[in-house]
Amino acid sequence: MENAAYVGLSRQMTLRRELDIVANNIANADTTGFKVEQLLLGEEVGERARNAFVRPGVSFVMDNGVGRDFGQGALAQTGRTLDFAIEGEGAFFAVKDGAGDAYTRDGAFTLDPEGRLTTQGGAAVQGDAGDIILDPALGQASVAADGTISQNGQLVGRLSVVRFDTLAVLEKSGDGLYRNASNAAPQDANDVQVRQAMLEGSNVNPILEITNLIEIQRAYESVTRMIENTNDLSRRAVERLGRAA
Amino acid sequence: MRALRTAASGMAAQQLNVEVISNNIANMNTVGFKRQRAEFQDLLYQNVERMGAQSSSQGTVVPTGIQIGAGVKAGSVYRVTEQGSPSQTGNRYDVAVDGRGYFQILMPSGETAFTRAGNFSLNGEGQLVTDDGYAVQPNISIPQDAIDVSISKSGQVQVITQGSTEPQVVGQIELATFFNEAGLEAIGDNLLLETAASGPANVGAPGEVGFGELLQGYTEASNVDAVAEISALIIAQRAYEMNSKVITTADQMLSVGAQVKS
Repeated sequence: MENAAYVGLSRQMTLRRELDIVANNIANADTTGFKVEQLLLGEEVGERARNAFVRPGVSFVMDNGVGRDFGQGALAQTGRTLDFAIEGEGAFFAVKDGAGDAYTRDGAFTLDPEGRLTTQGGAAVQGDAGDIILDPALGQASVAADGTISQNGQLVGRLSVVRFDTLAVLEKSGDGLYRNASNAAPQDANDVQVRQAMLEGSNVNPILEITNLIEIQRAYESVTRMIENTNDLSRRAVERLGRAA
Repeated sequence: MRALRTAASGMAAQQLNVEVISNNIANMNTVGFKRQRAEFQDLLYQNVERMGAQSSSQGTVVPTGIQIGAGVKAGSVYRVTEQGSPSQTGNRYDVAVDGRGYFQILMPSGETAFTRAGNFSLNGEGQLVTDDGYAVQPNISIPQDAIDVSISKSGQVQVITQGSTEPQVVGQIELATFFNEAGLEAIGDNLLLETAASGPANVGAPGEVGFGELLQGYTEASNVDAVAEISALIIAQRAYEMNSKVITTADQMLSVGAQVKS
């Protein structure tokens, strides 16, 4: 009986969640290396109450997951030698913090008091042979497109840039970090380029997000109206039937 | 509604961004000023449906999961220690550092502060001091009868006194470098203090390996790029507006929900 209201409710719930995700995209429109997200929706066929041949089935709206667009963000020159950007999709800098291995596209690195290359959050940037330690006495570090770091002509190490067979294994943990939620091993990404003194902006498209915002709002309003109409219908039915009896 | 708080975090972040940019623009003509940059990071994520969770008794798993982010935060505001261009002043006590290194300044409290602003002058005792009268370390005293003062690239201070043609060494300017310059704490008046994040100061003579050279008669201009700051300001303003649009939308959706007739 209340199917229409429940179907409407299922849509309203996903719309609210979509709004949360769009809000997060817009809030992070200026976050280094941020990747835009969207809610993936699907049809959930409801169980039929009685005879399957008599009543038509009812479908609800279900959110199946969050899809991430790992497309390249715009590269911007910063003029800072410890800023790095990856040119090429789906590859990450490997870093290590207290909670274990993590992966990031945010290459605004810095040095800790021991000269170790870290993220702004303090996670140690990983090279081919563990942590990367720079000696400031040797002058500026220069990084080649394949991630090789040298100081004063001396080889220091190589930034570890990795990728996964499937990007779905990555889970966001905030602070621009992704964590590997499976036991798939990362592989060396040698088809991408590391750019020094550049940072990758977020790949949020503001116009698209604002359009999404309007669509979500209008859809929410129309579903609300539908629920109201359904309610109205049953109220009137009760009134009329009540009078007849 | 989470969207309201998420958008509010976005507005707060952009406000901070504007504050940093306005400080850069205000210090466009400050000697030795290093521009700052606000770096943003996404906040924590809530796992509404965890990826890899079992979605049926047949062993199928959720491929992507649903993670909803809670907005944005300022990860850090760091100084970009790019070299500023040297500008000629003609003042013989103005010194610019070309390369790495900070001048050491003795504060009245006895602490040592560090600065890139080399617009020095002499105090009543002939000592080399900053604009505020704090002595440059190690102490350098210029004799009263000095006719000419020269500061070499390697920091040696020589004077020629009245009645003599032989230059006489009166002191040596030293520079300090740090592992992590961005970790120095700014205390205003162009001064910076050593912190646990910057690491200890490594003192040496200018021109040594890892240290910059000195330029007498020059000061280091700020490294603020006006055009870049103004475009950053425009981007920050638009981002702020978009976040406020999210708040309006979330508010209207809430009100639609609240007004449902029963």
